[in-house]
Amino acid sequence: MRRNLAIAASLAALLLALGFGQGVLEKRAEALQNGGGKVQVPRFEVDPTFPKPLPNHWYQGMSIGVGVDANDHVWIVHRPDSVNALEAAGDARTGECCSKAPPILEFDQQGTLLRHWGGSDGDGYQWPASNHGITIDHKGNVWVGGNGGGDGMVLKFTQDGKFLMMVGKKGVPVDSNSTEHFGQVAKIFVDKKENEAYISDGYGNKRVVVLDADTGKFKRFWGAYGNKPDDTNLGRYNPEAPPAQQFRTPVHCAEMSNDRFVYVCDRVNDRIQVFTPEGKFVKEAWVSKKTLGDGSTWDIAFSNDPQQKFIYLADGHDEKVWILDRQSLEILTSFGDGGKMPGQFYAVHSIATDSKGNIYTTETYDGRRLQRFLYKGMQTVTKGEDQGTVWPKTKTQ
Amino acid sequence: MRRTLSILVGVVSLLVAAGAGLVAQQRGGGAQAPKLEVDPLWPKPFPVAKHWILGSVTGVAADAQDRVWVVHRGVDSLQNNEKGPTLEPWASSCCFAAPQILAFDASGSLVGTWEVAANKGYEWPHDPSGIAVDKAGNVYVGSGLAPSALPPPAARGRGPAPEDAAAGARGRGDAAAAGRGDAAPAGRGRGAAAPPPGTVVLKFDKTGKYVSTIRDLDRPLAIAVDDTANEVYVADDGHGRIAVFDANSGTLKREWKANGEAFKTITCVKIAKDGMVYVCDRGNNRIQVFAKDGKFQKEGSVAKETKGDGSVWDVAFSPDQRQLYVADGHNKKVWILDRTSLETIGSFGQGGRYPGEFYGVGSVAVDSKGNVYTGETYEGKRVQKFVKR
Repeated sequence: MRRNLAIAASLAALLLALGFGQGVLEKRAEALQNGGGKVQVPRFEVDPTFPKPLPNHWYQGMSIGVGVDANDHVWIVHRPDSVNALEAAGDARTGECCSKAPPILEFDQQGTLLRHWGGSDGDGYQWPASNHGITIDHKGNVWVGGNGGGDGMVLKFTQDGKFLMMVGKKGVPVDSNSTEHFGQVAKIFVDKKENEAYISDGYGNKRVVVLDADTGKFKRFWGAYGNKPDDTNLGRYNPEAPPAQQFRTPVHCAEMSNDRFVYVCDRVNDRIQVFTPEGKFVKEAWVSKKTLGDGSTWDIAFSNDPQQKFIYLADGHDEKVWILDRQSLEILTSFGDGGKMPGQFYAVHSIATDSKGNIYTTETYDGRRLQRFLYKGMQTVTKGEDQGTVWPKTKTQ
Repeated sequence: MRRTLSILVGVVSLLVAAGAGLVAQQRGGGAQAPKLEVDPLWPKPFPVAKHWILGSVTGVAADAQDRVWVVHRGVDSLQNNEKGPTLEPWASSCCFAAPQILAFDASGSLVGTWEVAANKGYEWPHDPSGIAVDKAGNVYVGSGLAPSALPPPAARGRGPAPEDAAAGARGRGDAAAAGRGDAAPAGRGRGAAAPPPGTVVLKFDKTGKYVSTIRDLDRPLAIAVDDTANEVYVADDGHGRIAVFDANSGTLKREWKANGEAFKTITCVKIAKDGMVYVCDRGNNRIQVFAKDGKFQKEGSVAKETKGDGSVWDVAFSPDQRQLYVADGHNKKVWILDRTSLETIGSFGQGGRYPGEFYGVGSVAVDSKGNVYTGETYEGKRVQKFVKR
């Protein structure tokens, strides 16, 4: 087996057959561990043509938020400051390409860039040191957080970038019991029924905060299991240790389902915790519990059927999107794999769905992309199946 | 699916349109640039259970059978977050570096892999750079890192990855890096007789068996083979020369330096069918052309104002030899030159991580049908195919 160059077609075929054979066996073993059985799940195919190339030689940096508005326009936030000197050689005047794109970008369903704005302080507000999270609420307003050092606020704008509200402020210490500011907010969800904003707070603090979405007034907050938040350093995550009684930073998402349960991404603890809107703990589940470092539970979107039968969970460390049964929180399947090709991920960070059931993801670190996965109806898979890279079933060439 | 296809065609036309715009600005001569369209679904994904990914790609070559050979920098070029299962302790299921030598067919299927980890009789370079395949199927690989540039092993932290870093924290000094690669490689145990890193070109036969070593080089970043003369041309960057060796014995036959101002960074050497030898002087944004005996013929500039890494990273010829493709990792595009006049007649690509875009495009190759293949180093970590229309 050593130094076999599988260049002769026969040998190559043999090696590939071996590889694939092994793959199938491993897949089967994995599926059996997860309970075997057949399950019905949504099927997706990456759309390699979305979005269209940015105009103006603009370059997209770490992409750390995605949201979809009522018109199915896709909004992302990225970090222009993460675009390095080589990428931004145009700005540095060492070459003709490229320039840092503005942080907030809106795309239509064709993938054409529409509005773009943000990046600097304005009258009555401070722009975050490090952008993080974007949400378009039921009134059409745009919320962004920030996870830079001292970022203690969330911002609300119109879709044209007109400033509406800042809650909290910049330059504040970590304090998970503050009723005035946040500690490096990851994401915002806005509940239409009560007009309340749920803040994933955050990279410094370890809690979920609920605000009046119009006034920004703090209404309630809670930590893991509904406990009073505590800023004690928990140290590194250990999968063998008893479950942590507090969130680890970052608290990376807090999304409410149609039946009014709040799903919280306790990212580094590799778990989802579910609460009532009042913060009463309901249940929890681990996903890829052995994952260390950045953790596995990065962001959540729900399938767009009225029951929201499925959870789509972005896992930027295992480089895939997990599909969970929302009621049981059991893993049904996953798609995606590491890599730079369409449908592959490096640090898939954020996830959202549109009215047609399509999925959008953004990647941070050196992923730096927005990708669209088209909903293709239901399919039957072996429970736990790793689907890998989901490409269109037919090729153009 | 029909819809996807039509969208695809739409974008492809868009890319072509962008290219056509540049062609329209051509500077005389009336030469027409070929039309190329990215194939976003080439190559095919690796088998899912492997969880393989490419590291920084430092060489691409098309062989006589139109197979596309790729060399990449493997696990040494992966960030911690890309190599979770290789960390101690295990940190995530993604990913392992793919074998460092890969061959794909024109449809994007993996037809050959070459494990270099468990080698015998040779020292696999820390920073493999440049790949060439001769008519008989022998494969040559260079190495890009000077011994002095080796950092102490302690500089490469392992263990769990850091938290989601704030903006800019991961900015890398790409432009300052030597050779085609940018990241610091690992220190690795070496046998007493092994040559220092960054000093050899390795030759393997078509079965992947080690054949021989050309020694005493200094950052041999690229290789070309003259099949008729049975000679190997090496872009011996650190020595500022093109060195020509007997392909069998590895004996130096002749060498030459730049015409005029010394070479700044020699990142390619390629031999055209008419025997002209093209040399990329990356840092000087220029191509110099020589006869096989080293006699200077002509030179040309590409994106002359480019600073930083420079513009001329690699070149490849169209099948009819009329065009020269120039990979420009700094301006993030492939320039199309008239080979005779060395005038720029068009370009394709722009900066970014989407299909048809580039980050650190440093390698280019053309197959017999005129399809263009590119390799991206740094954090590009891709090979892409552009179909000739």
